[in-house]
Amino acid sequence: MFQNTKCECGHQNHVGTVLCEYCGKPLNDAEDANEPLEMRYDGVARKSQKANPSLIDKVWNFFSSVKIAVYLIITTLLGATLGTIFPQESTFINGDPSTYYEKTYGTIGKIYYTLGLSHTYTSWWFVTLLVMIGTSLVICSLDRVLPLYRALSKQQIRKHMRFLTRQKVVYQQEIALTGSAEEWVAQAVKPLRRRHYRVHTDGSALLAEKYRFSRWGPYINHIGLIIFLLAVLARGIPGWYMDQYIAFPEGEVKRIPDTNYYLKNEKFTVKYYKDSELPKEMQGENRLIAELYETNAVLYECVEQCDDPSKKPVLKEVTRHNIEVNKPLDYNGFMAYQTDYDPTLRLRSVKPEFRNKETGEVYGEFQLEMRDSALSYDVGPYHLELKEKYLDFGLNEEGQPVTKSQEPNAPAFLFLITGPDLAKEGELYFYFPLQIDKERFDQEALNAKLSGDFAKKFEIKVNGMKNVGLSTTSFLTIRVDSAMPFIWVGAAISMLGLVMGFYWNHRRIWLRFDGKQLTLGGHTNKNWYGMRSDVANLLKQMNIEVDAKSLDNGGENR
Amino acid sequence: MKNSRRIVQIVILLGVFILGGYAIGSAVFKSDDKPGRGSEPPAFSLVGLDGKVHKLDEYTGKGLVINFWGSWCEPCVKEMPLLEKTWKAMKDKNVEIIGVNVGEDELTVKNFVGQFGVDFPILLDKDKLATKKYAIGPMPTTYFVNSKGKITDIYVGMLDEDTLEERLKQLN
Repeated sequence: MFQNTKCECGHQNHVGTVLCEYCGKPLNDAEDANEPLEMRYDGVARKSQKANPSLIDKVWNFFSSVKIAVYLIITTLLGATLGTIFPQESTFINGDPSTYYEKTYGTIGKIYYTLGLSHTYTSWWFVTLLVMIGTSLVICSLDRVLPLYRALSKQQIRKHMRFLTRQKVVYQQEIALTGSAEEWVAQAVKPLRRRHYRVHTDGSALLAEKYRFSRWGPYINHIGLIIFLLAVLARGIPGWYMDQYIAFPEGEVKRIPDTNYYLKNEKFTVKYYKDSELPKEMQGENRLIAELYETNAVLYECVEQCDDPSKKPVLKEVTRHNIEVNKPLDYNGFMAYQTDYDPTLRLRSVKPEFRNKETGEVYGEFQLEMRDSALSYDVGPYHLELKEKYLDFGLNEEGQPVTKSQEPNAPAFLFLITGPDLAKEGELYFYFPLQIDKERFDQEALNAKLSGDFAKKFEIKVNGMKNVGLSTTSFLTIRVDSAMPFIWVGAAISMLGLVMGFYWNHRRIWLRFDGKQLTLGGHTNKNWYGMRSDVANLLKQMNIEVDAKSLDNGGENR
Repeated sequence: MKNSRRIVQIVILLGVFILGGYAIGSAVFKSDDKPGRGSEPPAFSLVGLDGKVHKLDEYTGKGLVINFWGSWCEPCVKEMPLLEKTWKAMKDKNVEIIGVNVGEDELTVKNFVGQFGVDFPILLDKDKLATKKYAIGPMPTTYFVNSKGKITDIYVGMLDEDTLEERLKQLN
């Protein structure tokens, strides 16, 4: 359809223009309409409004619509709520999601899992919605900010009469001029400047404007959001994001999967509140509430023989840190957070002595680790060869010794001992470090069977608790998130935009003289109260008393 | 003027298409990190009891059975003789059987292997890195990989002659 977009002032406007780009005359309204004007984007045409849209234009127009953007946001919000019904898979530390939901929540849980809602936020439809919101954000902004920028940077000072009388703040009156209209206008400049307006005059017309920058707030906010979204997206790039939950028993150096780092929990401390320190209503209930838990951690980097599992990796200490809740270890973006702990004491090592039972002579001590135990030990003149090892000793149905678990619950060691005055091929000796196991499995009888008199003369025994190494376990969350700086930058830019838009508002005052008649119009994007008070103040300075409220020309947003 | 606007439109839509496509694509094709039927088994590099390093690559072109076990796990121990027997029978039929010991000391594994007469190759996964990659839960868990390098089945629990044979048939 052909549309005449030429204004009576002679300016040729773009298709879709609401207010003439030059003089501000409303283009589409009936001559006698007098309700306040729609001032959004200063009445300029959006970029996408075109006479004959092609396919690209149609796609563009779809995303350019704020209505569509609102629907997208509402849909995304509704979709996001689905992910809050049951715990998401990503929060599982262990357990199999495929059975968890049905077992815990029944049929609904099964449906939930089958629909893929157990990973709502990484599902294709949710990501698609986010991408569409991102697209809409870019296109909506671009489509509006450029025409708006152009309109605001080439504003006409003398506006069409109808443009002024249809603002929401209007004043029209015959003035008893003492001089010319031009002089009156020139005098009005000063009080406006005092209120931080930038004033432009054109003979008997005037345009005063302040805080235009607040109009860019929403667009700066959008730039921040786009950076934020892109940063979240960048987590998908290999190596940018990692999140693991790992148990670190005290004293063990553990490799962090998919990295070149090793971490050692040197010591784990947990300190509980004393009963008297607890709130009254909790006292006397034997509650254990941790006041502090801390992991003294050492981070190593592998420098040599890292990818050859047959060789021992060469580690170099890179940093050490006492990790507490909210005080993670941070090494160039490699983070280790204190997440949990297991205070159960597990046997880590013992330092027994080899001694002569009859004379009481101690030949020496040796350090015996439960994991990665060394295979041979020299104690005084004697040599001990580790032959068999069971972390959780037991007997199977055939009566053979087996280990019942991987935990050192009932460790047992079989040594072959050689040395002075012993049989040449050596003597076998079973050693249970824990007293309870010695009795349960009858160490003495077992050894008597294995090596007869030897066990009557010699023994391996721990002398005192100071020679027993016990360890607790600390659970750390290991995280690498290279996108984080960008997320902060995006959030900061977004906040800057919000502040610009929230705490400042763009105010404009136009006035013109036609003979002795003064016509004044005012516009702001918010805080009309302040706008009217600015106008009333100006008029007062020009010796015209007017009640600020009477300037209100109707319309919304008062 | 008109032309440059069109170029801007096309550039932006193209950018959105590529970035958005990447994001959506990775959401659709994300294998949730867990190997499953039809996917390729995760790479590993483990020391065997023979002292040599073994990698997944060296079995390409062969049917492969990967059995994750531990000496403390009774059903694992019970299925060992069957695996041993099958290994002997299938050795020359382009099917390899390997056992991955989960987290035990070499001494323990060596003693166990000697005690139970296991001759098929045993690899040691002391740091449980491969165990984690293969998402092993309860043990024994056995992976079946065909000669094209795709997982045909993941069997959790003790294998018996029938279940094993049925799965071996799918390997070539």
